[in-house]
Amino acid sequence: MDMSMWLALVSIAIGTYLIRLLPYIWMKRSLAKRQTEDGIGSMPTWLTILGPTMIAAMFGTSLVPTHSDALSWLATGVGILVTFGVWTRTRSMGLPILFGVVAFGMVTLILPI
Amino acid sequence: MSTATQTLTGTPWKQGIKDAIPLLGGYIPVAISFGLISVQSGFSVLETILISAFIYAGASQFLFVAMAASGAPLWLVVIMTLLINARHVVYGPNLSPYLNHDKKWLPLMHGLTDQIFALAHARLPQLPDQARIGWYTGAAVLAWLSWVAGTALGAIAGDELTQRWPLISDILPFALPALFFVLIIPRCNNCLWSMTIFLSAVVAVILKMLGYPNVAIPLAAMSGAVLFYALKNQRILGGE
Repeated sequence: MDMSMWLALVSIAIGTYLIRLLPYIWMKRSLAKRQTEDGIGSMPTWLTILGPTMIAAMFGTSLVPTHSDALSWLATGVGILVTFGVWTRTRSMGLPILFGVVAFGMVTLILPI
Repeated sequence: MSTATQTLTGTPWKQGIKDAIPLLGGYIPVAISFGLISVQSGFSVLETILISAFIYAGASQFLFVAMAASGAPLWLVVIMTLLINARHVVYGPNLSPYLNHDKKWLPLMHGLTDQIFALAHARLPQLPDQARIGWYTGAAVLAWLSWVAGTALGAIAGDELTQRWPLISDILPFALPALFFVLIIPRCNNCLWSMTIFLSAVVAVILKMLGYPNVAIPLAAMSGAVLFYALKNQRILGGE
């Protein structure tokens, strides 16, 4: 890798870090300022909505299988249903994911046979 | 771990590691693919590992390697990769009410990926204030190490691994949608939020299937937020 490529790599690394860091610092200062001004340090409403919708969008993008065929979609559907079923019983995180992956894997492996 | 109640078994960082374990199913196979592709594109093993350690952003790393290998102008490579990461601007502000003024949070922001944000957004409000930095450190460091280690594995032996166990890269990544699902489902506790979450997810699926994976997350999230405001305003107007 030549010097210009290293420079590009360092720029991207610093830029990505600043994209994650600066908005956090800005909001922290903004909350502290609001708290001293009116005693309430609440976040803008649009931001509190965007947080959960971003996670829902990540769920949507990760849901699309690598091979977009009927079997992959069936395995995805079964995996999510099993995850949901276990989650409704346990209200936990680890077990629903484990059972979901196992169900997804079983449909992926067994049905083609 | 309960998603509804505040529970901490053991030290906070151990709990963070435990909560982040499902991420490995998604991180390691993708990191192995990245390591393999990067080496095939002409980067050395060490360069590949450094890319993962310092950029630490999946989609933009793939783009960086692909554009650099195709000989694209480097200024364009930098701009495009940073544009892909622009969605991260909302993560820090969303978590800031749960983070104290400890200076250690500043370097820890390097670990604020999509998945760590989703996990922290659900878990931090449930934890006592003094346990949050330990929990986040455990979760973020495990995720970062798994990404770097997966990259190294892919760069050194990715070809052999994917040939010997091709299904690993097909099955384990399902841990990611399952994780996002259990993180977001508790939010669907009323009609307004259920419809907002549903629309965001469906728009994201459609955009990804149409071949726009990089804009899918911000656009889908914004469409969900627009629906939220529209339904809320309609409710307010209807009530008047």
